[in-house]
Amino acid sequence: MDNLLSKEELEFAQHMREFYRTEIPEDIRRRNAIGEELSKEDMVTSMQILNKHGYAVPNWPVEWGGQDWTPVQRHIWLEEMQLASVPAPLAFNASMVGPVIATFGSQEIKERFLPKTANLDIWWSQGFSEPDAGSDLASLKTTAVKQGDKYIVNGQKTWTTLGQYGDWIFMLVRTDPNVKKQAGISFLLIDMRTPGVTVRPIQLIDGGHEVNEVFFENVEVPVENLVGEENKGWTYAKFLLGNERTGIARIGASKVALARVKAYAATTRTPRGTLLQDPLFSARLTKVEAELTALEFTQLRILSTQAAGSDKPDPRSSVLKLRGSKLQQDITELLVDVLGPQALDFVDSREVADGFTTLPPGASDALKAYFNYRKVTIYGGSSEVQRSIISKALLGL
Amino acid sequence: MDLELTDVQQELGSTVARLLKTKYDAGTREALLATDRGWSEEMWNQYAEIGLLGLPFAEEHGGAGMGFAEVAVVMEEFGRALVLEPYLPTVVLGGGLVDAVGTDEQKSQVLPGVAEGTTFLAFAGQEPNSRYDLTSPATTAAVSGDGATLTGEKSGVLGGDAATQFVVSAAVDGGVGLFLVDAQAEGVTVDVRTQADGLKTASVLFENAPATRLGTGDASDAIARVIDTANAALAAEAVGAMSASLKMTAEYLHTREQFGAPIGRNQVLQHRAADMYATLEGAKSMALYSKLAITQDVDGTSKSRHADVIAAKIIVDDAAEQISQESIQMHGGIGMTMEYPIGHYAKRLTVIPRTFDDEDSLVAELAGLGGLIEPEAADVS
Repeated sequence: MDNLLSKEELEFAQHMREFYRTEIPEDIRRRNAIGEELSKEDMVTSMQILNKHGYAVPNWPVEWGGQDWTPVQRHIWLEEMQLASVPAPLAFNASMVGPVIATFGSQEIKERFLPKTANLDIWWSQGFSEPDAGSDLASLKTTAVKQGDKYIVNGQKTWTTLGQYGDWIFMLVRTDPNVKKQAGISFLLIDMRTPGVTVRPIQLIDGGHEVNEVFFENVEVPVENLVGEENKGWTYAKFLLGNERTGIARIGASKVALARVKAYAATTRTPRGTLLQDPLFSARLTKVEAELTALEFTQLRILSTQAAGSDKPDPRSSVLKLRGSKLQQDITELLVDVLGPQALDFVDSREVADGFTTLPPGASDALKAYFNYRKVTIYGGSSEVQRSIISKALLGL
Repeated sequence: MDLELTDVQQELGSTVARLLKTKYDAGTREALLATDRGWSEEMWNQYAEIGLLGLPFAEEHGGAGMGFAEVAVVMEEFGRALVLEPYLPTVVLGGGLVDAVGTDEQKSQVLPGVAEGTTFLAFAGQEPNSRYDLTSPATTAAVSGDGATLTGEKSGVLGGDAATQFVVSAAVDGGVGLFLVDAQAEGVTVDVRTQADGLKTASVLFENAPATRLGTGDASDAIARVIDTANAALAAEAVGAMSASLKMTAEYLHTREQFGAPIGRNQVLQHRAADMYATLEGAKSMALYSKLAITQDVDGTSKSRHADVIAAKIIVDDAAEQISQESIQMHGGIGMTMEYPIGHYAKRLTVIPRTFDDEDSLVAELAGLGGLIEPEAADVS
């Protein structure tokens, strides 16, 4: 329903559509669309092109490279990016640490970090979760003890996504053990090359290496690397996690993934026709399409409320996360079922030895994505956490 | 991007809500259900007075010159209060069909009476043993000169109890025509039934019944369009009913105490209530989606309208089932009693997903239409 947009908004959408398709290398977009793992270099290349044109961090303050956009423009920017299969700007930089520094950091720390963060000259990692602090993040135990002009950091972080590429890590650390758990947390920036920092890979069931454990043993961190005030870290973390939920429904990306399922199913033969003509498969697919449309319109309704000037916390954003993550998983399952027996081998690519039949599209990524996407109902506030948020708004109990 | 209601629509919604709040509480409604008529003439006159009955019709035909967006606002409020009066049959279906295919003269003859509340219409489309199919009626029309006579049996005629005139589909000229038949005419026999939700339907026998053809040409497209509009209206009504059900259920979880605490303190119930909320939001979104599909199809030629409306109905039907079943379950035994309102909502929400078509058929139809997402959206694979 393109005619929901004004003429200016349609022009903006058209502009972004062309920009993404002409400026971001087709090879990167294609590999991203078909679920191939992108290299660090791919991500840096893509984000630096975006940043050069002011499209890497539009959510930041204008003076630090942001855009004075309406909520609708931000929506179009993201939706068109996903439809063009452009890798999103690294979330740790663009939606997490960047906005925290821009909002709560000193002028000095802003100048030191923000330009390099927007340009992915610094690759940030996230140091929040710990082995015993998952959904109950505030019970984190990693300590930072002030000694002169340094903090001495000891402890362990985990689930550090792409920590193997990390230059710096933004951390929640305990600076006061003697107060209510939320009140003794600070937000600290640590150079990952500092002695005492060890990154250890965690092997996942999808066969990949996406997350890590990070250990801190007597790591010396200059006090000027503290963001904002000591013991205010929980406030900053809540602000950050609020940003994280924006765009988490990934509707544009789900549309592309569904389109792939449909295209492949249309050329997959069964004893009774194509898979797309199979009544049960097509019924499943069709319901997912309808549900995705419902979610898209829920997102548009939230946007419309924001555009009308409301900035109240909206339990509907938890609906976006709850239902959007489930749909993403459903779509990975559909793709596995399109591939059938050819989904079951873990292979790195579709290439085969001479004389053998080439593997069909999706054969090298469908099952990996299925396992990888188990994460989406866990991260960013698990589905259970979202249900608790919704029921609190609904029932107040 | 503006998906908010206009000021006029908001005002319309609160006017209807206020009226129903003062005059249509659960007790009043239950008393109405126990009467022979099963609905309120007094309320019908009130609806006429505040302009609801002529809402979508042109001013020259006695209407208010508004559109489906306003009808949807009314339907949502009617759903919230479980209104029993035959608004959908008379205004949306019957009135909609006359408006779609009637000549100017016919519209001037029929629609002012609808707007004033004196003419009741009902669409006699479905037939026994043909499920929801409206495309090939067994009812036949014999046309002679200006007049015609109809012969056949119609069933599931919503509002058939109240109708002063039937809008009847019949096979003619190798296609489908629509005919206006006076309910009192010779050769018309009406057998009134009551649905589980308290709404009246009828089976109607036409035996050489005198009829007037509405407009000319094949009416199949117009019928499909009006059924789409009625489905979008049902989506709005269902959203009203589901919102009321969830509100009532949330209040019950808050106030009902067992084992010394409100039952809503149990996380298992909290999370299921949260799922109901998420489901309701999806249904609201798709009711909006179907409303836009109708209002944006200004000249009736939109290619995506039908697919969009049935996609919406699929989501709404699913939601109606989940929310009605969970509402009863969370209320426990009291939810099954006639004295408590939640079961009445469940009844309406069980009938809506089976009106005009059912979810499975709609899913199959939408799949046959190619779904909603073009395979080309993945343009780089």
